[in-house]
Amino acid sequence: MKPTYFINFMMGMYIFIFFAYLFGPLIIMSITAFNSAEFPSISPWECFSFRWFNEGKIAYDGQHLAGLLSDWRLHDGIISSLIIGAGVVSLSVPIGMAAAIVLTQVRSQLRDIYYSISIMPVLFPGVIIGISTVVLWDRIAGLGGDGFISDVGRNGIFLTILAQTCFISTYCFLIFVARLQRFDQTQEEAALDLGATQTQVFFKILVPYLMPAIASAAVIAFLFSFENYNTTVFSILSDQTLTTVIASKVRLGISPALSALALTIIALTLIAAVTYEILRRRSEKKYAQSQEIFVKEKAASGRINKEYKAGFKVPKGIVAILLILVFVTYGATQIVKNDLYGQSCIDAADQQKKSKFLEQLQTLESNELTEEELSGGSLGGTEDYDDIFGDPSLFQDFGGFD
Amino acid sequence: MSADVELNNVSVTFGSFYAAKSVNVKINGGEFFSFLGPSGCGKTTLLRAISGFQDPSEGSVLIDNKDMSGIGPNKRPTSLIFQNLALFPLMSVSENIAFSLEVRGVSKGDRQKRADELLELIALEGQGEKKVHQLSGGQKQRVAIARALAVEPKVLLLDEPLSALDLKLRQRMRTELREIQKRVNITFIYITHDQGEALTMSDRIAVMNEGEIEQIGPCDEVYNNPLTPFVATFVGENNPLFGKVKETNQNKIKIETPDGDFVSTMNENKKLNIGDEAIAFVRPESLFIPRDGDSFDNLIDVDIESFEFEGNIKNFYATLKSGTKIKFSIPNAIDTSSISAGTKLQLGFESTKSSILPKAQLAID
Repeated sequence: MKPTYFINFMMGMYIFIFFAYLFGPLIIMSITAFNSAEFPSISPWECFSFRWFNEGKIAYDGQHLAGLLSDWRLHDGIISSLIIGAGVVSLSVPIGMAAAIVLTQVRSQLRDIYYSISIMPVLFPGVIIGISTVVLWDRIAGLGGDGFISDVGRNGIFLTILAQTCFISTYCFLIFVARLQRFDQTQEEAALDLGATQTQVFFKILVPYLMPAIASAAVIAFLFSFENYNTTVFSILSDQTLTTVIASKVRLGISPALSALALTIIALTLIAAVTYEILRRRSEKKYAQSQEIFVKEKAASGRINKEYKAGFKVPKGIVAILLILVFVTYGATQIVKNDLYGQSCIDAADQQKKSKFLEQLQTLESNELTEEELSGGSLGGTEDYDDIFGDPSLFQDFGGFD
Repeated sequence: MSADVELNNVSVTFGSFYAAKSVNVKINGGEFFSFLGPSGCGKTTLLRAISGFQDPSEGSVLIDNKDMSGIGPNKRPTSLIFQNLALFPLMSVSENIAFSLEVRGVSKGDRQKRADELLELIALEGQGEKKVHQLSGGQKQRVAIARALAVEPKVLLLDEPLSALDLKLRQRMRTELREIQKRVNITFIYITHDQGEALTMSDRIAVMNEGEIEQIGPCDEVYNNPLTPFVATFVGENNPLFGKVKETNQNKIKIETPDGDFVSTMNENKKLNIGDEAIAFVRPESLFIPRDGDSFDNLIDVDIESFEFEGNIKNFYATLKSGTKIKFSIPNAIDTSSISAGTKLQLGFESTKSSILPKAQLAID
């Protein structure tokens, strides 16, 4: 074995372990969403089913375990999370951008102080931001009597938007600062010189330049808002967001509906990422083509080596794709072979559980103590042990109550 | 349409530092005027004062006889071409050119028409849809000029716009700039540290040093009759010969140096008295090897040290009796095979081709 092969092999192993560590829990969780058992698990495998994505199940004991589609608390949580996310994006992106632009205008001595103050909110614990927002707005709401201010000041969604914006706008600020550092200030001067007003410079030069930063700041702000728990749990008051719903569910007992939700979120993220990547590559290709045309126009014919031929290339991720295919096929054949899918399987499993339940009830019933046993019987009762409190020597070692 | 530009006693200070000090200059309408000076001499500061990005600490800037104080860069009848061009990378070539019209609310059709006109002026017809990154260096340069001309400014300010180009392109762009200036007939104010650029393109130049103007005049005058040792050594090359004034009469002046006495025509506005410390300047191309029958006002003995081949000319480096180094050049067309290191020669130069100036700072120090 050549040393380079060995190094490549080790490298591959390292990457595999790294990704397994990153994505292993997510994959396991995703698989549990398809197991019909009430508790998220892979083994024992009950049945392959989509019920946790749909209406869930009414258990044999009458308990309703809601699925993704039928869980209204989850739906309400998602809706308020989306509203809060939109609110946070529309507040923190402009605030972050304004703060970053101010940073470019501040004199050098004040810059460091201004920068430190600006990034301070990310260093505060989220809990404190949440509590302090509630405390402040409770005061403010108390001032205005029963009117509009009182309603607003005690509205959990409004407070959560404000509280999250406090620190999320700082992340936006950092994104804008990074982009603005590479901004060529002479562009502004050129636009001014060509007769543009300051407002026109802002909208025609600066904003187009900042567009990528605006987009990524919006995405980051939304994601931070969507997944935030520790600030939200205080500031949301009597409302619920997705994270607080999930947290309360975990407290009451976890259900595979959460796995289904997780899988849905992962799938949406993946689709978004893949779409973005495809679009990016397409525009990059377009740019490369235009550059190629430009080079061909400029270069003497002798310098163009050969026509570029598009051919089929084996994608680099082929090993990973094959691995996934093998696992999926194996899993599917196992499920089909053992008939672990479909309604009949679920019914059978439920029936089995129900009969087990009945059996247990019967056992319990048969084990129920008779009157005779309660009053004494062969075991238990007062016969064998007498009345222990009547035993005068009982508290001797203890010393008694004085 | 062109306008006069007048700088009245303009000073620009940064803290206690004078970037420009008491600058007085009047640039005529339709003139190609250059500010020439080494980096850090304050020429860009002056340009920014004219364009409105920098308020003068003292004095005033007048364009078309109108005081410009308090008028921002977007309200002045000037256009600035930046050193890095500052083209807008996110816009197409046409959009770049028509930007100044867009911000003035000109309709899209008219903008397109004007952009096409200007593309024709800069010989880039039909390339308006391209992005800036698809243009070559010289094309970008021309787009920047077209963009600056789109609003029909009265004064065009150019901040070393050719410094990023390679030699051939730079030479071609010089001619093109001059032609464009003649065609549009507006005032061009050009900033450069390259004396070749300044001399080839300008009607008049101002040589600047340490924030102050040392000399203003037509190119040949500045080159042939420098007023200060700095100008003598910054514009073109010059050999300084240090000494003391020995004799003056109406139009001649004689200087005594360790390497002999030299005569030069009197520079009318320089007052030199006998005994004053002075420098005689002679340019490398004004030094000749006398042939039979030649007679020169001044003769000088040199010891050849080395030489270099530059193409059209050959440069010889020699030492004088006193140890002073001197450089002279001979056209490549003349056979110099007899001259090599160690050769002793006598060189001659005319009194009209040298100048004697009071001792002061040189550009090559």
